[in-house]
Amino acid sequence: MEEQIDSVGKAFVDHYYHLFDNDRPAMSSLYQPTSMLTFEGHKLQGVEDIITKLTQLPFDQCRRVISTVDSQPALVTGGIVVFVSGSLQLPGENHPLQFSQMFHLSPTPQGNFFVLNDIFRLNY
Amino acid sequence: MEEQIDLVGKAFADHYYHLFDNDRPALSSLYKPSSMLIFEGHKIQGVEDITAKLTSLPFDQCRHVISTIDSQPSFSGGIVVFISGSLQLPGEEHHLRFSQMFHLIPMLEGNFYVQNDIFRLNYG
Repeated sequence: MEEQIDSVGKAFVDHYYHLFDNDRPAMSSLYQPTSMLTFEGHKLQGVEDIITKLTQLPFDQCRRVISTVDSQPALVTGGIVVFVSGSLQLPGENHPLQFSQMFHLSPTPQGNFFVLNDIFRLNY
Repeated sequence: MEEQIDLVGKAFADHYYHLFDNDRPALSSLYKPSSMLIFEGHKIQGVEDITAKLTSLPFDQCRHVISTIDSQPSFSGGIVVFISGSLQLPGEEHHLRFSQMFHLIPMLEGNFYVQNDIFRLNYG
């Protein structure tokens, strides 16, 4: 069970960042009206506002390195919490920016997950 | 509603790190048998094992300094709290930076217990 949670968490993270780096508008498939994002302290709710925020971010070309992925079953919700840390190398920047991000994935009736909670912070 | 979530998240974080920095065994009051901790990649479950892990860390004294706290409602009254900050150890010149997430579940008495707890140091 534990390994399955880790596999799901890692698969989700790979999928999320692949869309982020290659097809950001497609990230709308990951969120629902109840979804919440806090991005560097800015709070947003719902698919539209979240995708608007994500597609406006200046990270057009960035090289991302994932350092750690930790996943646990959220139990009460039937979902999974995923905690990611890594770095972003933006063009023109001398040093990579470190970041941490957490997701609370909630199960859908179809058997996959959507992002209920999403919190992103750069680590200065 | 939003501000209340932020207040609860901040109050919890202050309480947690106060206990951690001053009365580490008392952290057991925050966990239940179903609670899960991942501490720097080590997975632990249940009050006893979690408290044993936290009280056996290789530093007796420490001080957590919080830089950012982000909170969101999760489901059925639960709260996810995402924290970044620095950990100061006596005698150490450089502070260790860390990120930590909690998934708090409400209890009948009106307070919360920690269902999910993930801690990572931020290197680099």
